[in-house]
Amino acid sequence: MKEKTLVADIDRAFYDFRYDEDEKNFLESGITPEIIREISAEKGDPEWMTEFRLHSLDVYNRLKMPQWGPDISGLDMDRIVAYIRPQKRMQSDWNSVPDDIKETFEKLGIPQAERESLAGVGAQYDSELVYHNVRREVAESGVVYTDLESAMHDERYAELIRSHFMKLVPPTDHKFAALHGAVWSGGSFVYVPAGVHLEIPLQSYFRLNAKGAGQFEHTLIIVEENAYLHFIEGCSAPKYYEASLHAGCVELYVGKNATLRYSTIENWSKNMYNLNTKRAAVEEGGKVEWVSGSFGSHVSYLYPMSILNGRGARAEFTGITFAGEGQNLDTGAKIVHNAPETSSYMNTRSISKSGGISTFRSSVVISENAVGSKSAVSCESLMLDSVSRSDTIPSMVIKTDKADVGHEARIGRISDEAVFYLMSRGLDENSAKALIVSGFAENVSKELPLEYAAEMNNLINIEMKGSIG
Amino acid sequence: MSKLNILPLPTFNRLGVNFTERDTAFETETISVPEGSERQIIQFRETDCETSVTVGKGARLNLVQVFTGRCASVLKTTVADNAQFGLIQLYLGGDNVSEIITELSGYRSGFTAEIGYDLGYGDVLDLNLVADHYGRRSTSEITADGILRANAQKTFKGTIDFKNGSSGAKGSEKEDVILLNESVVNRTVPVILCAEEDVEGSHGATIGRIDEQHIYYMRSRGIPEEQIYEMITRARLERIIKKTGDKDTQKRIYSILGWGDDDE
Repeated sequence: MKEKTLVADIDRAFYDFRYDEDEKNFLESGITPEIIREISAEKGDPEWMTEFRLHSLDVYNRLKMPQWGPDISGLDMDRIVAYIRPQKRMQSDWNSVPDDIKETFEKLGIPQAERESLAGVGAQYDSELVYHNVRREVAESGVVYTDLESAMHDERYAELIRSHFMKLVPPTDHKFAALHGAVWSGGSFVYVPAGVHLEIPLQSYFRLNAKGAGQFEHTLIIVEENAYLHFIEGCSAPKYYEASLHAGCVELYVGKNATLRYSTIENWSKNMYNLNTKRAAVEEGGKVEWVSGSFGSHVSYLYPMSILNGRGARAEFTGITFAGEGQNLDTGAKIVHNAPETSSYMNTRSISKSGGISTFRSSVVISENAVGSKSAVSCESLMLDSVSRSDTIPSMVIKTDKADVGHEARIGRISDEAVFYLMSRGLDENSAKALIVSGFAENVSKELPLEYAAEMNNLINIEMKGSIG
Repeated sequence: MSKLNILPLPTFNRLGVNFTERDTAFETETISVPEGSERQIIQFRETDCETSVTVGKGARLNLVQVFTGRCASVLKTTVADNAQFGLIQLYLGGDNVSEIITELSGYRSGFTAEIGYDLGYGDVLDLNLVADHYGRRSTSEITADGILRANAQKTFKGTIDFKNGSSGAKGSEKEDVILLNESVVNRTVPVILCAEEDVEGSHGATIGRIDEQHIYYMRSRGIPEEQIYEMITRARLERIIKKTGDKDTQKRIYSILGWGDDDE
């Protein structure tokens, strides 16, 4: 009997190392006003932020759990630790970072990446940033890259933070946005002044090491007129048998004729509920480019949203999702065309195997004033067996006659004809199938810097064996 | 108020597409097409109706439904082995909520749906079409062509659902919408649900204006712009109307549309 051709699950062993933590640094689990006040005191919040947190908690308690996506009934908020005190304050000298944390990020290759290909690095371990550094020449160009808390306490940026923080994603947006508003901790603040083109990327890496904890980092990026930034976000966690929660928030402000590329390789462990919110507002002639690889977590709700507010603003979303055993990954994007002559393009791929569920969900809204706007959506799904699921739920709402919207989607398995063609050119069957799956994922890998594309390929780790079943 | 047109998998609440609320007073109707037989049924619908249809093994049913008023319609069909169900629906104005659930339970069962609509001032159409593929090598082909004028509002939710075990099944869905007024609202939700590896599914949608090159070509031949719009939109509907294959039905539809006898 022939053996079925197999594409291996993502090999996460590389990310599964962990260190024991001193539980006296853990705040009590659950989400209560007392815990919120304690977090606020630990962080030395200004008064407005304490009030903001308590208001968000009130909103959180009023809002219902989402009823339209994957099941999250396994997430018991009373058992989630919202904040873990850091062992040490944030450092800008790598040698001053505590040894176990330093070893964690060295295993993940972060210091090496900083030396070789990045303009600046931020590293968050559990609830707080442990390291932040930016190259001198980048800082001298006026670029600010620091942790959000430091920026909030710095009188040069305090007002900027206050006027932008959770204005794009208000706590009333949904229950986990409200939760984020109440318990947020860590994350990065980036400010790129007008006309500055940052040729090499900045990267923040988020590592959740603790068991049964939540990570709630907030990333706030402001790219001024005619500026350019590529920001890379990476995240991982070791696997536990208890649920963990990631409810971060990303707010991006893209100025007139500016461009911001935001790349994410997400590889949370399979006990993670990834309920993250990302949103960008783009001004006249500006452009936001999302590149997103979703490989990890038990359940994901992730739909980066672009609001095109200025004439001629543009958005591109390129994404890949790989759902394996025990994973229910609900991913996609949302685009709101809110000004004339705006354009958007969405291009996604999803792969399901070993009982994994992959759902592509999107919305394109063309509002009344978005005359002359264009949008195109393309999504393709690959099913690698019949115990998995792959669903596609796009939606388009158009409120003007002067717009052009196109959508196409395909779902299926690896084509026998394509395998046959490649085999007729001398490839063996396993290599042919591997090549087809690699090609299927290429839309994302070709958009990433080389070293991150290599990491993504490592994540997919395609192994072919046997012959066609 | 009853909840109608419930999307098989709900999506973002803010889009307002997960279900429709409507006061309804359904009459019920049953249509059964026996094994190996062939039937054509033509209905002009003006009242709320829930219709249950079974198409027996090897049978063929062509059902034509024309909606012109304020109507809620539910059409539930089961298609057996080697049977074919062809559906043509035309919405020519009014305020309609329509649900079409077709269960392709048989081996090589087939479903084709041709939906046409021409909606103008105050018209509303909320349409939910689901093709459930259970049978191996079952097929579905759904096309919707329509024109929205004035302040018309239309929601089209089309789902192809490949159930586990429907190996070899194929489904495709295509919607083409022309928008002719700045006050129209169009909602399109083309869904594919898939729990089977060996299937092929696709959907596509194009929504927007008439191609400017087409307009330029015809204007260069002396045709006024208003007439160009009428010609193009009429050509779209006529393609579907001709498929009814019945002269009297076509005449009646032309009359509703105010097209006159020369349009036969």
